[in-house]
Amino acid sequence: MSKRLTDTVVVPVAHESDARKTAAALEPYDVDRVVVVHVVEKAGGAPDKTPVEQSEEIAEASFAAFRETFPDADDALAYRRDVVGGIIDLAEQEDASAIAFRPREEGRIVRFLSGDHSLRLVTQSPIPVISLPSEDDE
Amino acid sequence: MTEGDEELAKDLGLVSAMTIGIGTMIGAGIFVLPGVAANTNDAGPIVVVSFLVGGVIAMVNALSISELGTAMPKAGGGYYYINKSLGPMFGSIAGMGDWMGLAFASAFYCIGFGQYLAVFVGLPSLAFLSPIQVGALVAGAVFVAVNYIGAKETGGVQTVIVTLLLAILAAFAVAGFFSFDYGILTSDGGLTPNGYGVILPGTALVFVSFLGYAKIATVAEELKNPGRNLPIAIIGSVAIVTTIYAILVSTMLGVVPWRDLVEDAPVAQAAEIAFPSSLLGFSGVAAVAASVMTLGALLATASSANASILASARINFAMGRDRIVTNWLNEIHPSYATPYRSILVTGALIIVFIAALGQEIEVLAKAASVLHLIVYALMNVALIVFREADPEYDPEFTVPFYPVTPIVGGFLSLGLVAFMDQIEIALSGAFVLAAIVWYFLYARDETTQEGVLSEYVTRREDELPDGVVDAADAVAPNEDDDFSVMVPLANPKTEKDLITLASAIAKQKGGTVDAVHIVKAPDQTSLEYAAENPEVFEEDYHGILDAAEQNAETFGVDVETHTILSHRLFEQIFDAAKSHDADMVVMGWDEDAHGSPGRVESALDELTEDLPCDFLVLKDRGFDASEILVPTSGGPDSDLSAEVAKLLQAEYGSTIRLLHVADDTDAGREFLADWAERHGLEDAELLVESGDVEDAIARAAEDASMMIVGATEQGLLSRLVRRSLVLDVVDEVSCSVLLAERAREKSFLDKLFGN
Repeated sequence: MSKRLTDTVVVPVAHESDARKTAAALEPYDVDRVVVVHVVEKAGGAPDKTPVEQSEEIAEASFAAFRETFPDADDALAYRRDVVGGIIDLAEQEDASAIAFRPREEGRIVRFLSGDHSLRLVTQSPIPVISLPSEDDE
Repeated sequence: MTEGDEELAKDLGLVSAMTIGIGTMIGAGIFVLPGVAANTNDAGPIVVVSFLVGGVIAMVNALSISELGTAMPKAGGGYYYINKSLGPMFGSIAGMGDWMGLAFASAFYCIGFGQYLAVFVGLPSLAFLSPIQVGALVAGAVFVAVNYIGAKETGGVQTVIVTLLLAILAAFAVAGFFSFDYGILTSDGGLTPNGYGVILPGTALVFVSFLGYAKIATVAEELKNPGRNLPIAIIGSVAIVTTIYAILVSTMLGVVPWRDLVEDAPVAQAAEIAFPSSLLGFSGVAAVAASVMTLGALLATASSANASILASARINFAMGRDRIVTNWLNEIHPSYATPYRSILVTGALIIVFIAALGQEIEVLAKAASVLHLIVYALMNVALIVFREADPEYDPEFTVPFYPVTPIVGGFLSLGLVAFMDQIEIALSGAFVLAAIVWYFLYARDETTQEGVLSEYVTRREDELPDGVVDAADAVAPNEDDDFSVMVPLANPKTEKDLITLASAIAKQKGGTVDAVHIVKAPDQTSLEYAAENPEVFEEDYHGILDAAEQNAETFGVDVETHTILSHRLFEQIFDAAKSHDADMVVMGWDEDAHGSPGRVESALDELTEDLPCDFLVLKDRGFDASEILVPTSGGPDSDLSAEVAKLLQAEYGSTIRLLHVADDTDAGREFLADWAERHGLEDAELLVESGDVEDAIARAAEDASMMIVGATEQGLLSRLVRRSLVLDVVDEVSCSVLLAERAREKSFLDKLFGN
């Protein structure tokens, strides 16, 4: 049986408004199953930059915002130091056919400091990665 | 194992936790304070004992923090426990105290950083800022920036820094051991040149060196196995740094005569002397050692400042979650995923403190300590409250010798505050006061959290003295989640109309009706007996509530019912309105509605001057809201009449007529038109009359089915009860009359100081 790109699409979101915009960008496309994922960034042995409980609240809010557009979306949460690795692991765990994400407009310095998640996701993912258009980013 | 194979939110092990504690503490005590401490008050070598006493006080509190932390491994630490236990007013004080204490401490660490930076590079002085302050400001800005963008700090780096520091200090201790000269230690006036009286003021100064252990509790949520690791890390780090301080300060004072120990960068100075100038043929060893020590000092102060900024964001988050501060503060940066606003605000405070107080490093150190000590004292009280009043409190680690330990911890903490100077106490006092004002002006209306303590007090209302209960009420948060209309019911005849009125209002406001049946028990009977046997005092005591429930349900509003046994009917209504957090009371008024009038007049005056909520009193002559008359002469009570009239209009489509009696009818017309517009009653019929007020009202009321009268002056209710109502017209008209009196809360200051 041939696989289709849209069987199970894993969609990483960073926060509530990112989730809303990502969902809007994905909406026009026909997808069988959507799993919205969030990776809580851990410091790995040092105190986190954001309290874990707050990160969990952000994850919940993001999932809820995503479901405004995709009410049936599943969700998955991981705690990882390496956000991109976390996304890929979650995608494998969900047996995803593709990862769909919305690259965010970021300055050069931010990209440098945050290790340019977009680039790493695209280059490191063992499964197809779909980049959603992101025109209305402020 | 690949990184993060386990989905674990908790990734701080024992070593990480310990390094947070040690890393935060070790910066100040050794690198910044010895010179200041030894020279201040001419304490001399005995200052070592000051450090030890500080360690003991820290240890007692560390035991309490450990217990609380294992019971509630939550973000926020001390603030969280106090808020949960003693309620949001003390929570506000603790949150503010912790937050400002951390900002002061960070400013202090930055100054320490600046001192050692000045050893390395020539810093300019700018305007009123000393070179050290300039260095501190730059450092502070960098630390804030690092936290703002959330540069990845790893446990590895943290551990390396602390290990490096310990190694540097160990090398210093060894070198110092060989250069140590007991003669130098006692050279200037012996061990106690100025007696033992300087020990505690010294402790007050150096206590800032021991603040770091509490930071472990602020990240307790991230600890693996907190039940075991939290106490070990907290108690262990206090024990370790106390030992290190004692050894190193002794060493330092045995190398450099205490009078010569500089106040800025003392470790660099001591290292230069402690290390031999040449070793194994290498010259310049001492200079290199001094440089290494300076690097160590920079690392140590930076790590302390950094940890403090991080911890303050945790406390803000915890306060935001309880709505003590606005959650705006805790919003996460869209790209950096850091609580950037909280970090910026804290950073701004740190910068201000450095600029304003940076030349008085002692003030910074002590202000940080006073605020932390206040929090520690409250925390010990919180611990006792949890143990005594919270059946669900179940810490894995328990303090030994309870209740002696927390009591001693509380007294030691406050006792040490007494050895601070007035300026630090005043500064900290100002922040505590600001926290209280903040609570009453902002947080009280926002937060919904009640402390274990006030729940305990409410549960035992009857056993505890009134003063205690009132005090607990006075500081309890205002709940405004749901509009609730309370209806005290006594007379089955008026029940239906009262519930109808209340339900109509509750329905329009989207609120609930709280039907309360107050059963009067004779004074001779104990309330406990009455509560168990209500039927003795009133047959079918629940019948009236069943009827109320049915009537209210026809409006589709939620209704709650309660029976209250009381010796004093009228006063009980006020108490119930307060304890049920009613927003409005709708009550009936006829000859025997609420029992013996005027029996306790002075108490009633007191009560009615402080109406807990809006009151509507219905003189019932058949409920019919089709033609409503609202006489008005302005004022807050007639605002309420207008509001109620509008609510009834919305429910029943009533016609509303407004009446104003004035001698000058033109001015009266203008007033009334304006009044109607301001209250959204433009569609009402306006009536302006002159002459006798009561006659005018009586005439106008002839076609009305209901009249709503605002109490024109304060105290309507008390006059009502004493049957001394001046508005005789209420008895003359034939329609139902609704008297409205606005809540009259005592002012915030009256409440605070008991008038």
